[in-house]
Amino acid sequence: MSAQAILQRLGAPLTVLVLLTLWELAARALALDGFPTATESLAQLPAILFDGQSLQSIGASLARMFAGIGLALLVAVPAGLAMGRNPTLARMLNPLLSAAYPVPKAALMPMVMLWFGVGDLSKILVIFLGVSLPLLYHSYHGAARLDDKLLWSAAAMGMRAPARLLRITLPGALPEVLLGCRVGLAMALIVMISSEMIARQSGAGDLLFNALDMALYPDVYAMIVILAALGFALDWAFEHLRLRLVHWAEPRQDAASGGNS
Amino acid sequence: MEKRAMIEIQRLGKSFRIAGGKRHVALEGIDLNIREGEFVSILGPSGCGKSTLLYMLGGFVPPSSGSIQVQGRPVTGPGPDRGPVFQEFALFPWKTVLGNVMYGLRQQGVGKREARERAMALLHKVNLASYADFYPKELSGGMRQRVAIARTLAYDPATLLMDEPFGALDAHTRTVLQNELLQIWERDRKTVMFVTHGVDEAVFLSDRVVVMTRSPGRIRTVVDIDLPRPRVRAELLVDRRYQEYVVELERLIEDVHHERDAEPAPAPVAKTTLKVATR
Repeated sequence: MSAQAILQRLGAPLTVLVLLTLWELAARALALDGFPTATESLAQLPAILFDGQSLQSIGASLARMFAGIGLALLVAVPAGLAMGRNPTLARMLNPLLSAAYPVPKAALMPMVMLWFGVGDLSKILVIFLGVSLPLLYHSYHGAARLDDKLLWSAAAMGMRAPARLLRITLPGALPEVLLGCRVGLAMALIVMISSEMIARQSGAGDLLFNALDMALYPDVYAMIVILAALGFALDWAFEHLRLRLVHWAEPRQDAASGGNS
Repeated sequence: MEKRAMIEIQRLGKSFRIAGGKRHVALEGIDLNIREGEFVSILGPSGCGKSTLLYMLGGFVPPSSGSIQVQGRPVTGPGPDRGPVFQEFALFPWKTVLGNVMYGLRQQGVGKREARERAMALLHKVNLASYADFYPKELSGGMRQRVAIARTLAYDPATLLMDEPFGALDAHTRTVLQNELLQIWERDRKTVMFVTHGVDEAVFLSDRVVVMTRSPGRIRTVVDIDLPRPRVRAELLVDRRYQEYVVELERLIEDVHHERDAEPAPAPVAKTTLKVATR
């Protein structure tokens, strides 16, 4: 194996190792109370990962996250696709989309809690809102960019408009929709944690911020490591799924553009 | 014996709203009858609205004025009696070659097994049977267009609407596909409307060539191509009549190009006043 091949295969673990070393050295040099060393923090991992209650908590977080994502898929994808194929609808909803995008969804948590309480429902709703926007945006653009002629070809075969949305627009826009899903997945993790910071009851965010309140800094950092690993694993799994679903897609779908008269 | 008109186009016009609230007239006063089994090419420069004419015939784009009747019935939308073939192929990229060709049959309610058999038979005809399991992205342009033609032929439309189908292909592939198209057409004699800006192609394929003017597109003239069939390219190229048709049409197209700076055709009075009123 050449040096380059070795580097290519071991690149990512190597980066992690370098970062951990830097963390260890910096923490030792600074010797701050609130900045535990890497070894101290990682030593807490087994305690968290083999504790039934912690695992249950993290599981509850993930369950809410997937509920929020599922809800967003059911609502935002059809809405975005419809917007992409219907200019009037797009003109009506676009300002709303632009206004809602920069609002931090976790900031809505207190309001949502007023209506729906501090339980799962509020958190799922806030995750749903956070995931919906990138999903809506990418579905909209995917559908708007789709070549009319695909839909015309299906229409000539006798396919009606509602069926075309499901059977032509959805698969045609799928590469872009899945890009939105990837952004949405990262968004879901962020909103999941911040919703649990505001409404503490259970969950990974609850573990993290309780540890912070009790000044258990190695635990705080261990939780951050767990969350980062979780994010990495989810993204990795999603990328595999995505490539399986859109293996047919061209690198650039609009490559075959032609003159029009 | 005169065959009945398959397609009757009367006083057809299309205008679009463009920036500034003005209207751009793409097509105006198109009158054209196409007989059943006739191969008609629409020849014109880019921007003359020839593709728009085809889109209206397909029912993909509504006309602004006038009427289109196909087999005696007004066109209100797309239908499987008029099969389109586009320059950009417009294959479903998530379906295999076989899946694309089967798609229309399945849509028409044909059972899976029968649709598969009929699609495979068509793929054999266009020499793509060994590519049945490939995805469109794995094919060359010529192969993609063969698949697109097979996909449309599969559901057996009475009329083929071809929008510069060979425009995106290299010269050699174009010739091969022209020959294949003629063979297919000579076998089942579908009515074909073929939009192109290639003079050779129009003469080689057509019974009649409709020459369009520049924007707004109108019919400049219609040339009957009285050449024997089946046509063989090598024979036609040395045929005087073929050469004369090509020269005549080249001249007409040249004239149309030079009319670019001439004064635009006078718009109907009603439209001019409307324009003033909206200011």
